[in-house]
Amino acid sequence: MGFFDDKQDWLEIVFKNYPPENRRAAVMPLLRKVQQEEGHVSPERVAEIAEILGTTATEVRGVMSFYSYYQAVPTGKYHLQVCATLSCKLAGAEELWDTLRAELGVGPGEVTPDGLFSIQKVECLGSCHTAPVVQVNDEPYLECMNRERLKALLEGLRSGKRLEEIELPGDCGHEVRKEGA
Amino acid sequence: MPKLRINDREIEVPEGTSVLDAIFHAGYDVPYFCSERHLSPIGACRMCLVKVGAPRKGKDGDWIRDEEGNPRIFWFPKLMAACTTRATEGMVVDTLADEVKKAQAGMVEFHLENHPLDCPTCDKGGACELQDRSYEYGLFEKYYTQTQNGLKTVLYSRFAFTKRHADKHHKLSEFVVLDRERCIHCKRCVRYFEEIPGEEVLDFIERGNHTFIGSEEVPLPAGFSGNITDICPVGALLDLTARFRARNWEFEKTPTVDMNDAFGAAIWVDSRSGRIERIRAREHPETNEIWIADAARFGHGWTVRDRVTAPLIRKDGELVPASLAEAEAYLRERLARVRGEEVGLLLAADGTLEEGYAFAEAARALKADHFGFENATRFPAANLPAARFEELLSAEFALVIGDPAEEMPNLYLRLQEFLKGITPAPRYYHGTPIADLRLEERMPRRKERLAVFAAYPTRLHRFAGIAGVYPPGSAGPLVEALSAILNGKRPEPVPGVPEAELRRVAERFLAAGSRAIVVGAEVLEAPEAAQAVADLARSKGALVFAMPPAAGARGLEAVGLWNPRGPGWEEPGARFLFAFGATPPAEVLASARLRVLALSHLDPQARAHADLVLPAKTFYEKRGYTVNAEGRLLELRPAPTAPMGSMDGLEALAFWLRAMGKKPPAAHYREARERLHERYRLPLDLPEEGFFWRPKLRLAARTGKDEGELFLQPTMWKERMLRDDRVRTALGAPRLRVHPATAKKLGLAQGARVEVATRYGRRDATVALDPSLAEGALLLPAYGRGTGRRVPYRLLVPAGGEA
Repeated sequence: MGFFDDKQDWLEIVFKNYPPENRRAAVMPLLRKVQQEEGHVSPERVAEIAEILGTTATEVRGVMSFYSYYQAVPTGKYHLQVCATLSCKLAGAEELWDTLRAELGVGPGEVTPDGLFSIQKVECLGSCHTAPVVQVNDEPYLECMNRERLKALLEGLRSGKRLEEIELPGDCGHEVRKEGA
Repeated sequence: MPKLRINDREIEVPEGTSVLDAIFHAGYDVPYFCSERHLSPIGACRMCLVKVGAPRKGKDGDWIRDEEGNPRIFWFPKLMAACTTRATEGMVVDTLADEVKKAQAGMVEFHLENHPLDCPTCDKGGACELQDRSYEYGLFEKYYTQTQNGLKTVLYSRFAFTKRHADKHHKLSEFVVLDRERCIHCKRCVRYFEEIPGEEVLDFIERGNHTFIGSEEVPLPAGFSGNITDICPVGALLDLTARFRARNWEFEKTPTVDMNDAFGAAIWVDSRSGRIERIRAREHPETNEIWIADAARFGHGWTVRDRVTAPLIRKDGELVPASLAEAEAYLRERLARVRGEEVGLLLAADGTLEEGYAFAEAARALKADHFGFENATRFPAANLPAARFEELLSAEFALVIGDPAEEMPNLYLRLQEFLKGITPAPRYYHGTPIADLRLEERMPRRKERLAVFAAYPTRLHRFAGIAGVYPPGSAGPLVEALSAILNGKRPEPVPGVPEAELRRVAERFLAAGSRAIVVGAEVLEAPEAAQAVADLARSKGALVFAMPPAAGARGLEAVGLWNPRGPGWEEPGARFLFAFGATPPAEVLASARLRVLALSHLDPQARAHADLVLPAKTFYEKRGYTVNAEGRLLELRPAPTAPMGSMDGLEALAFWLRAMGKKPPAAHYREARERLHERYRLPLDLPEEGFFWRPKLRLAARTGKDEGELFLQPTMWKERMLRDDRVRTALGAPRLRVHPATAKKLGLAQGARVEVATRYGRRDATVALDPSLAEGALLLPAYGRGTGRRVPYRLLVPAGGEA
């Protein structure tokens, strides 16, 4: 069964936002819907989207692969994205990446056996002043990351804490102070 | 018409010209990789950076002037990409400034950063834009040489990065291979697929430094994929049929014309040591621009293998090699007392005008009743008026009945231009604009301008506002019904096409200021319908584009190789048969007493029936004129690949006639051309500006009707091309396409393997149920023989198979 088979009403609303002769303009909302609900966009879904939009799977994959948000393979519960563009790289993103790989024992495209973690290098997240930056899933950035903060993060996540409950050691100098702290 | 200055030269260019074209038009050079003729300029490679300035107007509406009263030039703060900058009035362009040179050299360095150094083993080496531009515009002296241990070595960059490694042999199809390391991401191939044939089968995958060319549609659909190997500026996309066959400078390059369809696309035949190794598109702005179809490009492998190199005489049931003298003696003996009327003279579909003339003259002199050419349609294409392909672009509405993508692939590409509303570009000093600013990525196709009908859904169907599929055989009734509606009469019903649909077509046809009608073989096989098209063209002022299945049809008909009453290629008649270039159907051969075939290759029918086989030249090896579908005279030039002793049609016909004791009408192409010049005022040498030959003809149509049930579907691929393993692999087993209901009636199951026997021979095929067809439809690829006809057939199920 296709993913969008029971979402015809939703599709109709989406297509209303785009010119009728240019259905393929709706490629982003469709990809996003699949990513949100299934955690990744499989080749079958790519083909399905292409079919719905009247375009080719190549084109859908071209759009999808441009954005690091869309995953082609299933990710862990926590998908750690390490910014590896210039500022972060200069500030130690590579060391951070190596630490992550060593700590978790996984490479890009893999998931830890407990199903918790997967990792990915991404292009600039736009927070160069707090480099290096790590993002977990769609959550707010984790800034000024270093080995200690990374370890604390992993420990916190492993112990089942929510991201905002995790205290990272040290500070970045400009965090929003919590009330009463 | 803006006037501008390029370095020291003042020029005037048409409105909308890019700075890049203005620079070339002024006679200066600027490097570029991403721009390409007929593709949208996108400014991706940044190679064409130049210094540009323009005057500005003040508040008073007059130019802002300097102290001397001249308009003051305001330079753009940064260098501009010339390909995406529009030339404007008073603009000043500097392509020679130091900062320009330095920027271009820097871009060369960037392009080489990840480019592998495998030029010595790269097929593009020697014909590579990146190589040329690196030498011309890279700062070779300054950065790229160093002395090491007293030896001068080459450094390709000031930086020592590791090169990016990627897939080097990524096969995109049987014909095209992609080397991802060599790719410089100019995006020409990606844009080509979307903009020219309208299939988005290549795209950039990933982004930034990780970008690569990828496809989910592998193998790429065979049709128009080969053009990307021509336009790739580096060796990333290569023609697999020519892989590692030669260095570019070793090829003998022959400019000639493709004779696989009637479009007359210009090609380069690259040969080496007497073998055709590669076909490339040759630019001809008025016809094929810079594109050719895959069949024309990749379908040349058949020429090199199993050539007939000496005359073959049948002895004890076997064809055995003989000398030319033996062949002559053999023929003299058998033709000694033959009367002219007993002779049949037949010419292949790719015969030249000179050959056609000689065959027609010989038939007339002999009073032979049996003559003609292969794939002649019942209605002569030459009776229809011909419009230039470029005129199609000025039409507002086009009605297509047939399958241009297969019948005349280049016309399909022209129809794509028509759909986008592109008109012919202005011609510059350097020719076609390299960065035509009128072109954009993803231009909308104006579907309302097109109506398409065919016996199956064609590539064009999804671009058409009105599209229909009729059961094979209904092309004629459809045209006649439409013509009735347009003339205000009651139409006869057309199976599979509702009358309301036809009325909609008629409405749009009449509403359009200028119209075009494109008709394929199916309509030309229905004389009344074809005549109706001719009448419509006259009464409604429509442009007509006929797609005859024989490449030379228009010319061969005009020089008199048209025989409406006697038997032709398809019908038995003559007792002494001479055919040049292809093998007539078995029943024609079987009914003759003597069968002489001049062939470049033997096929099963020739093996079974021929008494004497003479070695023949292929169209790649002949010299002569041809007339294409628009009535344009084109010239074939010979590639040096014909085996010693092989003959063109004139030589072979002369050989036959001399054996009869007759004088040949022309023994040599030049002689035939002089006759053509005397009789039809054709030029002795093709003038540079081109020549059209469109005599007003009213030849009688041939009578008869198709009797069979099996529709031979047009294909750009021809029977002879199937000799090549690569082509066979790429095309897969031929599909016997059948409507599910019809399949049920015939007892055919999806995927069943059957052998289909027709008058053209036997073919293995796989049954494919296709609900997109009309009920009753049964389709088999024609591969050139009997295209557009319905023929009787027999189905043979091989042992172990079930149908």
